[in-house]
Amino acid sequence: MDLLLLAERENTLLGQDFLTWLWFKSEMSDGQFQLDDGERFLLFMEQRMSVQGGEGENVDTATVNSSSGDMTEVLMGLKTGKKVNRAQIRMEIDENEWQVQIKAEDFGLSGLKTPKVEMKDEEGDDPDSKFLEKIYLIEKCLSLLDSVYMDFIKIRISKEWQDEVSKFRHWLRNDED
Amino acid sequence: MPILSTSVGLTRYRVLEEVEDDLIRSIPDLLLKFAFKDIDHTAEERSFGWVNMDEMLDDKWNVSPPEKGQYYTFALRLDTRRIQPAVLKKHLQIALNHELEEAKKEGKNFISRDRKRELKDQVTLKLRARSLPIPAMFDVVWNAPENKIYFTCTNSKVMEMFEEYFTDTFNLTLEPLTPFFLAMNMLGEDAAQKLESLDPTYFVA
Repeated sequence: MDLLLLAERENTLLGQDFLTWLWFKSEMSDGQFQLDDGERFLLFMEQRMSVQGGEGENVDTATVNSSSGDMTEVLMGLKTGKKVNRAQIRMEIDENEWQVQIKAEDFGLSGLKTPKVEMKDEEGDDPDSKFLEKIYLIEKCLSLLDSVYMDFIKIRISKEWQDEVSKFRHWLRNDED
Repeated sequence: MPILSTSVGLTRYRVLEEVEDDLIRSIPDLLLKFAFKDIDHTAEERSFGWVNMDEMLDDKWNVSPPEKGQYYTFALRLDTRRIQPAVLKKHLQIALNHELEEAKKEGKNFISRDRKRELKDQVTLKLRARSLPIPAMFDVVWNAPENKIYFTCTNSKVMEMFEEYFTDTFNLTLEPLTPFFLAMNMLGEDAAQKLESLDPTYFVA
């Protein structure tokens, strides 16, 4: 099979499995995650989310944009076999906060907001300092996302994935209680 | 520069080939060679190329060099002339009416299909020469030591243009870090077979 065609199938499969799993994972752990070096951070999926199901011409999508964080409708979607295909993610370390929307099929990032970078120029500042601070914050955000993706991918290709899916189903059912 | 915006759109890539130090050192020269060429005084429909990330008018990197810390930075500038369909429709009608009048003088009562097409091309060109190109900037940040590239755009057409032009300029291939390639990148080639043969998960029983 053509590598790009294969990648397209795998991209959607992995991207949607990841975002769907990530929602469950962050709910189960109260948003607590950890980097390899032990640094802790919080990660939540919030406000905007969309789920997708079906194939070919029969793709159905349900999108929720809720400021109150009511995700009932996308949960309903999950229960009918849909998967998360777009999500808004918020990450926090201490006082610092990042926000980003991520697309399952290609990991395209939009609306990436980093902690605030001071835009005023002070005398004697390195002219590149604003850029360097901003790119540091962007790369930090990417490293947090990569770290949860790495957690996911390790378990996704392992035998433990079925256990994880069982836990997921339990979580989805418990939601009704 | 778009990358400093409060809200950024971003696509990630890695370079497939081994990048030699010589090539890294020649980035500033290659950027100059493939710099953006202005089309304000022409009737060209489109132009694109590299400019200084700090200043869209700086195609010679006079304002600042592309190096910032360990990063190489530049921007893809894309200028496009757009003619509103309603404007084209109006001026095409004027041209057709005029043509028909001329034809009547010669006793003809119609304009051939080929001539209509020709007129449309002429009108389009005339209008294009009168309209100003609309500039757009997309930042490129190349973290060379870590072999990562960030492009501040998620529009697939612009991304395709960027990927091709990057290859033309540096003779390197970009791989977008989509879920599959990112996973391959993290786990190494050995995991390829596992990743390629995954079955979709049924999250509901």
